[in-house]
Amino acid sequence: MIRMGELATSTDPGAVLAAIGLGSCVGLALIDRGAGVAGLAHIMLPADTGGSLQPGKFADTGVPALIERMAARGALRVRLEAVLVGGAQMLGAAGNRLDVGARNEAATRSALTRAGVRIVAAETGGTAGRTVRVHVGRGEVSVKEAGGAVTALWPASPAQMGAAA
Amino acid sequence: MSGYTDLQLDALRELANIGSGTAGTALSGMIGRAIDVSVPQALALPLPDAVDAVGDPGQDVTGIVLPVIGDVEAIVLMLFDAADEACLCGLLGVEPAGELGRSAMSEIGNILSASYVRAFGAMTGLELEPEPPILLHDMRGAIVASALAPTSGGAGVALLLDSDLRIEGEHCNFTFLLLPTAAGVDELLLRLGVAG
Repeated sequence: MIRMGELATSTDPGAVLAAIGLGSCVGLALIDRGAGVAGLAHIMLPADTGGSLQPGKFADTGVPALIERMAARGALRVRLEAVLVGGAQMLGAAGNRLDVGARNEAATRSALTRAGVRIVAAETGGTAGRTVRVHVGRGEVSVKEAGGAVTALWPASPAQMGAAA
Repeated sequence: MSGYTDLQLDALRELANIGSGTAGTALSGMIGRAIDVSVPQALALPLPDAVDAVGDPGQDVTGIVLPVIGDVEAIVLMLFDAADEACLCGLLGVEPAGELGRSAMSEIGNILSASYVRAFGAMTGLELEPEPPILLHDMRGAIVASALAPTSGGAGVALLLDSDLRIEGEHCNFTFLLLPTAAGVDELLLRLGVAG
C-alpha cells in the first residue's frame, strides 16, 4: 500500500501496488513491460516549496524520483507507460482555493512531458475519490471509484494490450 | 519528530475539548438526547500516518467539510459511517438517503461546526469565520487526504485534534477533527500562551 506522499516500485510479478482513497491526490503508475517493472507514486501537492525530505509528496519532485527508482530496477524511460488516476475536486466547485486536484494533475502531466514519458491512460478529475491498483506482473492498472465497481483502466482492451506489448 | 511539545499538545487538546463540548451541547439541543464527548486527542503525525489514524481509508463514509477563515485558517471535518448517519437522521425523523437526508446532514454539520469554531474563537480571542459546509459521500482516505493537502501544505507533520461524540442510548458516534494550517497552529499556540 502506497500512502500519501510515498512511492514504490516492484519487479515481483505477483505484487500489487495500491493507493487507497485518492481524492485530490494523484496516483501515478509507471509501467515498463519489457523490464517487468512497475511503480506507483501517491502525489499530494503540485510543487515542493520547502526542500522536503519526501519527494513523492510533490508532482515536481515525485515524477523524476519515481522515474529514477524505475531506472534503478532496469526500466527504460522510452518504454515507460504512465497512467494517471485521481486529482478529483473533492471540496466543491472549480476554482475553490482549497482544491488542489486539478493543479496536481496538471503538474504531474507537465513533469511527465518534461521527462519525455508518455501518458497512455488517465481517469482524473470529477468529484469522487478513487482507489488505484497496479498489477506488476500483468502490467495492468485498475481503478475503483467510491461506491463503484473495479474497472480495468490500462490496458484498455486486448487489442491495445497487443499493441503495447 | 512532531515539532510540538507535550505542553503545547495539552493546550491544543484542552481547546479541542471545549470546542467539541460546545458542539455536543448544540447537538444535544437539536435531537433532545444526551451526548458524551470523549477527551480529544491532539496528534502531530507525519501525513501518511495522520490519514491512517483517522481510520480505514477505503471505507465509504459521509464527510462534512467546513473550511474556516479569519485569523486562523483551518478545516473542521466530521466523519460518519453509514450506520451513524442513519442513526442521526433517524433521530431527526428523516431518511438518510435523498434530498432531505442530505439537507439534514448539512444542517447538523453547520450547527456543530459553527458552535465548535465559535468556542475556539471565544477562548482564544481570534476572529474565526466558518464557510458553508461541503457534504461528501466518499472514501474516508480521499476525504481526509483532500482536507489535509491544502491545510498541511508542504509541512511534513499534520496536527489532528480528534474527538468522538456519542449519542447516549444509541450505537451512534462520529469523529470530529480540526485540521489547522501550520501557520494556524502557531497562532493558536501564541494565543494560548505556549508559543514555541
